[in-house]
Amino acid sequence: MRKVYLDAESLDLMLVPTQLEYEYVFIQTEGKCKVDIKLKPFSDSKFKIKIYIYAEGTSEVDCVCTLDIPKDVSGVETDIQIRSWPFDKSKIKARPEMFIKNSNVIANHGNALGTLKPEDEYYLASRGITDYKELVKQSLLNA
Amino acid sequence: MLKITNLSATIGDKQILDNININLPAGECLLVTGQNGSGKSTLLHTIMGRQDIIATGSIESCGQEIIDVPCHERSRAGVFMVHQSPPAIDGINTMTLFKEIQKVQNIAGTTGELIKTTKALFNWIGLPEGWEKRQFNNGASGGERKKNELTQAVYLKNKTQVLLLDEPDSGLEQSSRQKIIDLIQETKNRNGCVLLVTHDKELQELYSANQLDLSNA
Repeated sequence: MRKVYLDAESLDLMLVPTQLEYEYVFIQTEGKCKVDIKLKPFSDSKFKIKIYIYAEGTSEVDCVCTLDIPKDVSGVETDIQIRSWPFDKSKIKARPEMFIKNSNVIANHGNALGTLKPEDEYYLASRGITDYKELVKQSLLNA
Repeated sequence: MLKITNLSATIGDKQILDNININLPAGECLLVTGQNGSGKSTLLHTIMGRQDIIATGSIESCGQEIIDVPCHERSRAGVFMVHQSPPAIDGINTMTLFKEIQKVQNIAGTTGELIKTTKALFNWIGLPEGWEKRQFNNGASGGERKKNELTQAVYLKNKTQVLLLDEPDSGLEQSSRQKIIDLIQETKNRNGCVLLVTHDKELQELYSANQLDLSNA
């Protein structure tokens, strides 16, 4: 399941994952956006969550993705990945949080923030491309 | 077609190339040789215009001085490089990248035609089904990345005046070598010129007639 949010103000979501993969994309070109995703899986559920955040101008995004597994929920396998691109003077705060009270759980997570590396910029320039920001935005919109 | 005069190149405080001279006429291929670290790749990157290389001297492509021209403008003017180690670019969708290449290189065609063309090219080169939907080179092997490079080279072949091939065969199966030979031949037939860096013995023998050895450069 893939959902794209354009210039959202807030998202408060409680998710009981029943699918293998969820993808949330936030494109913020102005204003502030607060995202709060709470994951409450059943026992033995397997799922991946990918969160992509793009911000430009002076926009701001504050995103928390919380995995909450109580003692009586076991066998969960999950992977939570957050990737953020803060362009211009925008600000992105993003973090996965995990509260796991059962030892029979596999929960991976990653959180990467940054725009393009100089070698990526050179590679794209060698194809004639300079508008990296638009390329990332269009990639997220059209994936 | 490609005339390089007294070219020197420095990265940081290290001089890599000193006083290189090349005069490569249209329709010719130059094999660039030399031991590891002799500056073969640096020469190609200097012609492409990598931002961290300080170059002095002259690089003329199709009669135009390009030594002070930024990399993206060199690309749009017909310089194309098959990179030795193309990066995986997080977040950039392969098809979106091709759309942007089509736009900046002024290649005619609708989005539908572009999708059809690129899918056919990916299939021809042997990239897996659905490659166009993936993030650029994400999770790709070295061979797949090189195939992706060759796909772009073929897509832009009618625009390319100077083709820079930096170990185009590395990581590829033997059967792909013919595709590189065909690409070189097509570029030569259209009066483009080619600089080839390779460790492949057969390719070296094939193009040994015109050779630049950078061992003492």
